[in-house]
Amino acid sequence: MTDLLKRVPELTFLIVLTIIAYAIMAMFSQISGTEVLSAWSAWGIIVASFLLSLFIAVIAVLGGVGGGVIFTPIMLGFTSVDTLLVRSTGLVVAMFSGLVSSGPFMRKGLADVRLVFYCAIPIIIGAMAGSQVAIGMAENMGETGDAIVRLLLGCVLVFIAVMFILGGSKTEYPQPKKIDKVSEMLNIKSRYWEESLNKTVHYQPNKIFLGGILFFVVGFTGGFFGLGGGWAVVPVLNLVMSVPLKVSAASSGVLLAIGNAAAIWPYIVKGALIAVIAAPWMIGQVIGGILGAHILAKIKAGFVRNILIVLLILTSIKLLSRGIEGLFGIDIPVL
Amino acid sequence: MTIESLEHDIHETKDEGHHDRPVVPLAGVVYGDIIYWITILATIVVIIGSIVTFVTTNNYIDPNYLLSAIWEGKNVEEIWVGAVGAQPDGHWYLPHLTTGNGITAGGIALGVFSVIPGIIGAAYLLFKEGERLFGVLAVLSAIITSVAVVY
Repeated sequence: MTDLLKRVPELTFLIVLTIIAYAIMAMFSQISGTEVLSAWSAWGIIVASFLLSLFIAVIAVLGGVGGGVIFTPIMLGFTSVDTLLVRSTGLVVAMFSGLVSSGPFMRKGLADVRLVFYCAIPIIIGAMAGSQVAIGMAENMGETGDAIVRLLLGCVLVFIAVMFILGGSKTEYPQPKKIDKVSEMLNIKSRYWEESLNKTVHYQPNKIFLGGILFFVVGFTGGFFGLGGGWAVVPVLNLVMSVPLKVSAASSGVLLAIGNAAAIWPYIVKGALIAVIAAPWMIGQVIGGILGAHILAKIKAGFVRNILIVLLILTSIKLLSRGIEGLFGIDIPVL
Repeated sequence: MTIESLEHDIHETKDEGHHDRPVVPLAGVVYGDIIYWITILATIVVIIGSIVTFVTTNNYIDPNYLLSAIWEGKNVEEIWVGAVGAQPDGHWYLPHLTTGNGITAGGIALGVFSVIPGIIGAAYLLFKEGERLFGVLAVLSAIITSVAVVY
């Protein structure tokens, strides 16, 4: 860790600046508090958000899932914060770890820039459509819309968890039986240096056209739920398009940043992204994203999978129960 | 392309080692570095904005009200109507960049915007390296994302 802080001075600078900032905010705060939230509680929420965001960012970068898939379900499942606010902040969480990890991943050759720009277009279009639908639904369906979102998201999380469970360790270096003609035509053949194995790994993405269609769906889901989409980008790249798992995780982070950049603007201009709440999550994601990006290159690819699966299952149970409670009025005492 | 020739490429050969490290594409490095440093700058702006929000009274919207309203579970429209009378419909933070809320929101927006110059830089190099198809895809990505900014 000390070596990392010396090698990456901007990381050290950000950590020190953040600590100083929160200390100043504690000592000289003009926040007087209200009946709902005291001044110290307000500061505590900000700092807790930062620390949680930091943890999520490291885990998310290692798993290539962008953080939104952890943040958004937890907030929707366990707090009363408005769903649109949670989803917009979720996109910030999903995006910024991907943004800041783009640099290290690209420099190490882990993310394939040609593959990224092919996949970016369907994701961007899908993400923009998803965020517009989310805003429209919030404006027209109120609490019923919120319950539907929770229920649907719970189902999505179950699906994601199953995908990760069934994916298994065999997908670290997938070997397609046959390369289809579209993929041969695009010829995105590539290779990268696998530090944990001390060797070069060659690969050629397959089923490019199918991947493009799936990326539109992923983008839409990410923009709509505020998940970002990384949870699906990794399986699409790895399981469908036969890209090595580590390249999939790295490329996913880069793709998230591009796709979510388009999805987040509608939330910003509608005031659905509130800076005072989003700020500590963004700062945590940036610092955690840099940490995670430097760790990813050195570890075996499948390490974080089990942590993610447990988190996904627990939050999906809570979301499903809240969705059913909201839609049908049935009280389900869970978590 | 036969599966046999691809298998040869996929599997490690005994001769490969440190001498065979692949060259990293410059377009990717440029893309990553542009985004990385703009994001670092944006984060610094957000940190400064957070300090201004908390330690001064120079805010477009009172942070006491904001934090309480959010914690109470009010929806976006209710929060904005209660704060300034109406929900925004545009880049509301631009005229308020000297306030705590404005600086913080502007910093987040700067980070989100970083993708566009990053893509443009990468597109230039992709064209220069002869990767025209992917250069065109990169330019399209930048155009579509720019539409999201202004629409």
